[in-house]
Amino acid sequence: MLVGVGGCQKKGEIIKIGVAAPMTGDQAKIGTDLRNGVTLAVEEWNAKGGVLGKKIEVVAVDDQHDPKQAVSVANKLVNERVAGVVGHFNSSCSIPSSDVYNRGGVPMISPGSTNPQLTEKGYRGVFRVCGRDDQQGKVGAEFVINKLNLKRIAVIHDKTTYGQGLADEFRKFVKGKVEIVYYGGIIQGDKDFKTVLTSVKEKNPQLIYFGGIYPEAGLLVKQARELGMTVPLMSGDGTIDPKFIEIAGVKAAEGTYLTFSPDTRQILTAKSFLENYEKKYGEIGPYSVYAYDAANILLAAVREAGNSEGKAVMDKLHSMEFSGALGKIQFDEKGDVTVSPYVVWVTKDGNFIEYWRP
Amino acid sequence: MFFQQLINGLTVGGVYALIALGYTMVYGILELINFAHGEIYMLGAYLGIIFFGFFTASGLTSFSLLLSLLLTFAMAVIFCSAYGFTMEKIAYRPLRNAPRLSPLISAIGVSIFLQNYVMLTQGATDKVFPHLFGTSGFTLFNARVTHLQTAIVLVSLFLMVSLHLFITKTKMGKAMRAVAQDKAMASLLGINIDSIISLTFIIGSGLAAIAGIMIALYYGLVNYSIGYIAGIKAFTAAVLGGIGSIPGAMFGGLFLGFVESMGASYISSEYKDAYAFLVLIVVLLIKPSGIFGKKTEEKV
Repeated sequence: MLVGVGGCQKKGEIIKIGVAAPMTGDQAKIGTDLRNGVTLAVEEWNAKGGVLGKKIEVVAVDDQHDPKQAVSVANKLVNERVAGVVGHFNSSCSIPSSDVYNRGGVPMISPGSTNPQLTEKGYRGVFRVCGRDDQQGKVGAEFVINKLNLKRIAVIHDKTTYGQGLADEFRKFVKGKVEIVYYGGIIQGDKDFKTVLTSVKEKNPQLIYFGGIYPEAGLLVKQARELGMTVPLMSGDGTIDPKFIEIAGVKAAEGTYLTFSPDTRQILTAKSFLENYEKKYGEIGPYSVYAYDAANILLAAVREAGNSEGKAVMDKLHSMEFSGALGKIQFDEKGDVTVSPYVVWVTKDGNFIEYWRP
Repeated sequence: MFFQQLINGLTVGGVYALIALGYTMVYGILELINFAHGEIYMLGAYLGIIFFGFFTASGLTSFSLLLSLLLTFAMAVIFCSAYGFTMEKIAYRPLRNAPRLSPLISAIGVSIFLQNYVMLTQGATDKVFPHLFGTSGFTLFNARVTHLQTAIVLVSLFLMVSLHLFITKTKMGKAMRAVAQDKAMASLLGINIDSIISLTFIIGSGLAAIAGIMIALYYGLVNYSIGYIAGIKAFTAAVLGGIGSIPGAMFGGLFLGFVESMGASYISSEYKDAYAFLVLIVVLLIKPSGIFGKKTEEKV
């Protein structure tokens, strides 16, 4: 089917796709995971002759998980005339950047921004391949109520759009059934949480729910153990990263519950992706597969649209059904995935294991 | 809960105080706010990880953990002192007679340089210090105190007392006080100003290095940007106690740690960083020279 494509390829003609993620700073690992996922997808397309007879190029930009920086790099991508963007990762970056992409007519597919607001603005070009915090918070709440039968819970968040959003959704769903004995924020990037934890300990909760990302989650659980607290920590998809266990230490991290999508290793369609990724980049990050699928979806939509015009690509994204490494993906009117299963994972002996399905 | 928060605050406060000493000593002598001092602390933390990793790899840690740690501290202190010494030689000495703003800008430049230097050579991701002590500790008045916390508080206090004795009792300390009071006069009396200033930077950097490793041990997590906020906090502590005053820096650091802990626990943890600056504003309004600021004879 693709034989002879090289012949009609005009020299120098390329299609660019953007990757926007935190490439430096404490979340640099996530950014690298995402870029690797996209690069792998693009290399596979290029090996088959690119898209619409053109070579594909990845433009990676660093938003430093800073909303201001995110808007600035979003403008850069729009000016570079990318066909679409895989990104951003943090909800606090994706939401302001979506304004920029909307104005520039560039479709964006976020691999990890789970805050509901992102797709509630009515922008036609905003999509995400991950779930939403209201779905995630609900699964977490069901787990705590139905499976663990807990009565007293402390809720901590990192004051970011993602962290506080997730914590608030969780709180909304447990309200009335569980007593929230503590609710408070910490500062992202801070290293000392003993003061907060001392106040939490005083309230005697049966579980600490944390809305935030792994560096803080790791320190929280480590310092909780140092204060003699033995209650489990529960957190969301921002914490499911091997670095979490490294920071906390295997012993302190043991028995932490995390809401995340089902195990990629158990999804049959992801098998070849996993093999190729590990051969090339080593250990897979939790979001690599999302970035890989997002890039594939974007390129498939460009191919189906017959050109890389923003509007045509958006139309295709809304109407097509894709089969990616994660399985069948289809977007609804808002740009959310139609099926978004969250399950509960647990850390055991330094590994993450799928534990409970709602 | 109060006692637990007191312990939490003391641990962090001790570290703030050690860094604040570097600020205040340099200010006392040069009237320069060395904004790169926080980066020396960050370098100390990194050097700690590097040397400890080296000693572990060479088998020393499994032979004797204590020896390995002591050597790690010693090496980091030596290296950081060298950094401090060089920094003064390159960035501040040529500007000694320049307008006061010039060395200040130079200090900010050094700070940016060191941060980026570490980011480029060590990578932008967090570095994890091995978990050496686990959660071992004891319970006192219903508060959980880890052995590491005890060690941090004791080491900080020991260093502060030693420094105080050094400055008040030794000949070298006397020379430092003399230079702080009047450089021209001190030089007429045969004190080598340049070497005293170098010594000030060496001592300050050594203290910052120790603070850096202790924090790396305590939190187990280090990245290239930790020097910034720690530097600002320690600077606040120094100003709070009265910049230029050594007991002031010690008190300021401990007091700041205490205020942060209490504010975070009894008011709201969301504004933890704000309490320090709030207290600073109040102190500066009431007593602009800082709490210990008036005693100029204590100035170094």
